[in-house]
Amino acid sequence: MSERKNDGFINYELQEFKLFEPLFKWARKKSLWIVAFCTGCGGIEMPPLATARYDFERFGIMPNPAPRMGDLFLITGYVTPKTLKRIIITYEMMQDPKYVMIHGSCPINGGVYWDSYNVVKQLDKYLPVDVAIAGCMPRAEAVMDGIMEIMRKIEDGTADGWKRYRENYEYYRKNQDELFGEGWREKDARRWLAWI
Amino acid sequence: MDMNEKPKVEEKVEEQKPQEVPEVEAPKLPDTKEGKLVAELLEKAPYAEGNVRRERRVEFKVPADRIKEFLELASEKFEMLIQISVVDWLKEGEFELVYQLWSVSESVHAFVRTRIPRENAKMPTVMDIWPVAETYEREAHEFFGIVFEGNPRLGPFILEPREHEKHPLRKDFNMIGYVKTIYGEDFDRYDESKTNYVI
Repeated sequence: MSERKNDGFINYELQEFKLFEPLFKWARKKSLWIVAFCTGCGGIEMPPLATARYDFERFGIMPNPAPRMGDLFLITGYVTPKTLKRIIITYEMMQDPKYVMIHGSCPINGGVYWDSYNVVKQLDKYLPVDVAIAGCMPRAEAVMDGIMEIMRKIEDGTADGWKRYRENYEYYRKNQDELFGEGWREKDARRWLAWI
Repeated sequence: MDMNEKPKVEEKVEEQKPQEVPEVEAPKLPDTKEGKLVAELLEKAPYAEGNVRRERRVEFKVPADRIKEFLELASEKFEMLIQISVVDWLKEGEFELVYQLWSVSESVHAFVRTRIPRENAKMPTVMDIWPVAETYEREAHEFFGIVFEGNPRLGPFILEPREHEKHPLRKDFNMIGYVKTIYGEDFDRYDESKTNYVI
């Protein structure tokens, strides 16, 4: 029997759950609830995805307004330092397991705003990213393909961004503090999240 | 328009110039509603220059020290302030402020241009004429560092504090240098030797 880590989090590797793990993985894959952070042109691709043409609800995917009940975090379009603060707080509010999918060139490397003073160039320095869809903008087919990819990864167990975030928290935290300055959670986040 | 027409007009102007200078300075306003509007306003404010650009588009140039006086006069006909936009003329060392006005009654769009020096740029606020000017003035203050005297809410607005101090839309703002220091240099596109150039 493997040693159980007691790190204060719920441990999903518990022995008694191992039997049902394929079932859980299948269930997670088939019921992705989306927390959509649609900035810029990324939001335009969501209506065709949700409506009759590509109808993502047939895959059990549902747009969901609350981060506490979300599985899949969609970040579409450019990310500025101001919105990145909100993104990080929202990501940390989501429950494990959580997956991040990013759309378009802007979160990957800055896209057309690569020399802009207020667009974050590499989102995966600040958050773990599971699937990135390149393009400016990717069409709804490409987004659908990305969703298929993340479903496959969930079933494989390779969509492990939530684990990587926990394991490499110092790295992510260092990058976040470099960008925002130390103590940004206390200064800024407390203004909109009183309980932090 | 006939293509051959243009050179002829230029020749005529060159011939007239040495003879009668004042006529060239004051172009005749057309006999339309725009022309009448401009003529009416210039009669009250002789210090300004004005002309009609095209249908429903007029233009004024006003010296900076009398801009408030002029806008008060203009606000009788132009009831709405659409935008205060700023142009940074770096070589001249000047900011150009363009007050864009819309006349609801006449359906005419007016540009009121004025120039102020770049260093310690100061303008009187026009909040008492159009209250909506508050937002545009805050924006101009944040992005260009122009101080609008009388506006009580000048201060941090849209940008993060670090950007707000630098006035990022000024032409002498070193964009690439700023981006390198803030977001790091580990991008192929910033490679000066262009061995790994992406775009």
